[in-house]
Amino acid sequence: MGDYLRLNAEILYWTFIAPFKKRGFSGAAVFRQMIVIGVQAIPMAALTSLSIGLTLAMQGAHELARMGATAYVPDLISISLLRELGPLLVGIVVIGRSGSAVTAELGTMKVSEEIEALEVMDINPVRFLVVPRVIAMMIMLPVLTVFGDYIGMFGGWTFCVTALELDTGAYILRMVNAATGEDFVSGIGKSVVFAWLIVTIACHSGLGVEGGAEGVGRATTDSVVLSIAAMLVANAILTGVLFLTA
Amino acid sequence: MSAPPVIEVHDLVREFNGRRVLNGISFQVEQGDVMIIMGGSGCGKSTLLRHIIGSIQPTSGSVKLFGREITNMTPAERSDVRGRFGMLFQSGALLQSLTVGENVALPLIDRGIDPEIADIVLKMKLELVGLTGFEHLKPAQISGGMKKRVGLARALALDPELLFSDEPTAGLDPIMTAVVDKLTLDLTRKLGMTAVVVTHDMTSAFRIGTKMIMLGTGAHQGKIIARGTPDEIRQCGIPEVMQFINGEPDGPTPMKMSKEDYLQSLLEG
Repeated sequence: MGDYLRLNAEILYWTFIAPFKKRGFSGAAVFRQMIVIGVQAIPMAALTSLSIGLTLAMQGAHELARMGATAYVPDLISISLLRELGPLLVGIVVIGRSGSAVTAELGTMKVSEEIEALEVMDINPVRFLVVPRVIAMMIMLPVLTVFGDYIGMFGGWTFCVTALELDTGAYILRMVNAATGEDFVSGIGKSVVFAWLIVTIACHSGLGVEGGAEGVGRATTDSVVLSIAAMLVANAILTGVLFLTA
Repeated sequence: MSAPPVIEVHDLVREFNGRRVLNGISFQVEQGDVMIIMGGSGCGKSTLLRHIIGSIQPTSGSVKLFGREITNMTPAERSDVRGRFGMLFQSGALLQSLTVGENVALPLIDRGIDPEIADIVLKMKLELVGLTGFEHLKPAQISGGMKKRVGLARALALDPELLFSDEPTAGLDPIMTAVVDKLTLDLTRKLGMTAVVVTHDMTSAFRIGTKMIMLGTGAHQGKIIARGTPDEIRQCGIPEVMQFINGEPDGPTPMKMSKEDYLQSLLEG
């Protein structure tokens, strides 16, 4: 835990203080990581969000039909996606795809002496490797979440206009009326917190690898499990805070 | 007043889980020397090297690089010292995600050197190790010996005053070994660079070394059992050293158990 907190402090130092004092991180590296972490996760995030939007519509329609309230299906979809399911699902996709890749990559670099070589060349590994990944994740996870929200809503729409015979205009209007700006902002706020947790846990696990290929495998598994647990706990806490302060 | 030794190691001790891997190592390396560190597998050669470059902290003892103690340096001081030496790792330790050219240019670009100048330096360093034209390949696409030579080019990118090499010629063919040896000799004899070379390759060690130390194993684990110039080492008469430099299977450093011990260990199960 002490190591993890130290890594967090170092990330903050190399992101916000060091660039104004001496050598900063490379913008090109941030851009490369944004593609690896964010852009390449789009197909997976889209598929997951589409499925969950569709499922929400079907389940909602099934329950609400008993009360003759199928017109409220769009409300259900937009609020659940924006507040909870969008940030969580995209978070899980990114943990499985990008968090694990970050741990495996840094872990492999650790066991093949690459990290030590960087240190000997006086290239700080946190500045050179970790900070670009952190910034890329902090930008791309919220962006992917917004993207996921839209795709989920599209998934719900396909069911509403076909099976429930709802009008597209009505679907959009109900969604816009049901969800408030706060729902959207709270979801994005959550995704920012998730991004920090996912990328710091992934980097910490990767840099802490010991014991060859077996160590890399173990660290990758630990990183995924720990990230999902941390994200769910943080989600419960954040939802509690938002619920109490609302 | 003469210049201080480039490296001064005094009474260096390192324990891992209660086992003394290095046990009271002391030696000096003067400017222009090629210091050869040799010894059997597991004798602590690579560990000693990692202490000298400041990657590992010793249990006790002192290591001075360029007259300054490296074991308790501030990050700024360490950064300054690290700019003055280069290190070739046993595996080459190239960044797999970068090309050969990007690897060699990395120390230059990271220090803010103009990319056009870095490109010229990169070409010069690759030519030194006989790898001109390979700059666009990834490390995964070249052989182990080539990786090592790229690692050497990278270590030399900033024209260091001091070069550390961990097994520089392992995995190289005899011609390339001679090229790397000649390069080390040229850099040290003509340009005054200092080198510390950890090696098993006795031909190469006697070809380039000006000073040698040998670390012991077994009862002498982590101690220097012989030191001197190549001629002094050849004539030292210490059985362990003679067995090592002549590469003999039988001698004071047994690689296998005696027949009696072997029998007993089998029977005891």
